[in-house]
Amino acid sequence: MDLIELEKEVEELRRLLQKKENELCLLKQNLNIVSPVLDQNGSHSDTGVTGTETKGTLPKWAIERYSRQILVPEIGVKGQEKLMRGRVLIVGAGGLGCPAGVYLAGAGVGELGLVDYDAVDITNIHRQFLHGEKMQNISKADSAARSLRSINSRIKITAHNIQLSASNALEIASRYDVILDCSDNVPTRYLLNDVSVLTKIPLISGSALKMEGQLTIYGYREVDDKKKEPYTGPCYRCLFPSPPPPEAVGSCSANGVSGPVPGTIGCLQALEAIKLLVGRNRESLLVQRMLIFDGDDMTFRTVKLRSRNDRCAACSDNATLTELIDYEALCSMPANDKELDLHILPPEHRIGATELVQQMNKPGHLLVDVRSENEYQMCCIEGAVNYPIDKLEKMFEELMENISGASRVTFICRRGNDSQVAAKLAMEKIEKNREKIQDVEGGLHAWAKYIDRDFPVY
Amino acid sequence: MPETLKLQINFSGGAELLFDKIKKHNIELPSVRKYLPDSKAEKWTIRELLVWIKGNLLKERPELFLQGDSVRPGILVLINDADWELFGELEYELQQNDNIMFISTLHGG
Ligand SMILES: [Zn+2]
Repeated sequence: MDLIELEKEVEELRRLLQKKENELCLLKQNLNIVSPVLDQNGSHSDTGVTGTETKGTLPKWAIERYSRQILVPEIGVKGQEKLMRGRVLIVGAGGLGCPAGVYLAGAGVGELGLVDYDAVDITNIHRQFLHGEKMQNISKADSAARSLRSINSRIKITAHNIQLSASNALEIASRYDVILDCSDNVPTRYLLNDVSVLTKIPLISGSALKMEGQLTIYGYREVDDKKKEPYTGPCYRCLFPSPPPPEAVGSCSANGVSGPVPGTIGCLQALEAIKLLVGRNRESLLVQRMLIFDGDDMTFRTVKLRSRNDRCAACSDNATLTELIDYEALCSMPANDKELDLHILPPEHRIGATELVQQMNKPGHLLVDVRSENEYQMCCIEGAVNYPIDKLEKMFEELMENISGASRVTFICRRGNDSQVAAKLAMEKIEKNREKIQDVEGGLHAWAKYIDRDFPVY
Repeated sequence: MPETLKLQINFSGGAELLFDKIKKHNIELPSVRKYLPDSKAEKWTIRELLVWIKGNLLKERPELFLQGDSVRPGILVLINDADWELFGELEYELQQNDNIMFISTLHGG
């Protein structure tokens, strides 16, 4: 009982602390302590102390705080001023957004916006390190914003707790100078590209899965008043005019990801954002080039990309895109990395977890787990045999032999999609007794919810 | 002029899953006239290479790698570390020891 009381008390205090922190943050912003406004000439209005005038343009605190990066010739005083005037929108407060946010907040970028529709889940924390254990079920944008404020209270941080879409993206993005694509799905990537093209805001696009990462800058525009037509880099659609087939798209929740992989890419997104804000030229930036990182054999490859496609639907002179569209429809995918519930088998071939328990007690029942070997080793129902879905072709004969000797066969997987695919294959192959084949609706997630609370949910 | 053409083929970003999970393949192509006697091709281009890959390396679900006579959307082809668009895409004539890379774009974060 003491434990529960204490946990409650800690939770209360945490809430109170958050409230006070928010108050303080607002107060500071109103007092103009946060993000000193540098005017066009670079002079500043800071803490309100009058009578002292430093020779430089940066206030004492900023010189001290950012000295290590100001010393870098590529950044310098001018660069630091630009960073402090800079506004960066980070879309996705996950594996890429966390490291990117940390370095941009640390560098003193004047304003950071964080977009995320999702809440913190325990499976996020191994890589999304701005969220602690206690932040579970709290908005990721809020959680990340709070952590970043504790790193730098001098900058303005805005949490956007929304699903970015065609109806809100332009309005939000137009308040920023650079967009970081730290998202986790295809529709959002096309959406952000079109936002970048329409608003002329450069897009630093990072992605990661398993042991690999990719990084490039889309929609870069050179600022050159002398040139009639300053250089513009390719956009996402110049490279990928049409979206990939949904079944070819992997996700961190289905395929996994090693934390330091998005960590690496996110850090480099922050570096490119810093370089972009301080005005490094395009030869120095990852423009018309893509970085390909393989964490397994530890190789970084920088490859040369095509130039802007003069037939691109989004960014060319002959572009047909004039406004944002429905990106979930364009990609035939939802704008998140959650898995869908498929309906492949007829309902009479699907059972619930409770029914599975009853059938397992009957002789001759065969339980076939079609998850990967790795997942099967992580956790499985006692007595289940493992036929991974992607090895099914090779092991099909053996499985069919097993099936012919069983009185009833139940397929199971993590969530109840692959189990239907496998059951359907077996039903097509088997000549008689098709009715003995079935799958578990909701898979092992349902098993954990209704039968065995100790079974891991991942 | 050697009879065979040696190439290194790389798959990454998940494309390797369709190729026995092997990312690097050192291959040797026979003369294109021998391999594709019915085609008018005189030299190996990426177009014929895709036919060869389909017949010799691709283990499963060709629709996740190919679409028509090209690669499916979302796969970037690199010829010696540069976008194939810079070299005429399917028409690029393969050279001895070329490195051809097929990268599936990642979307996770
Ligand atoms: Zn374009």
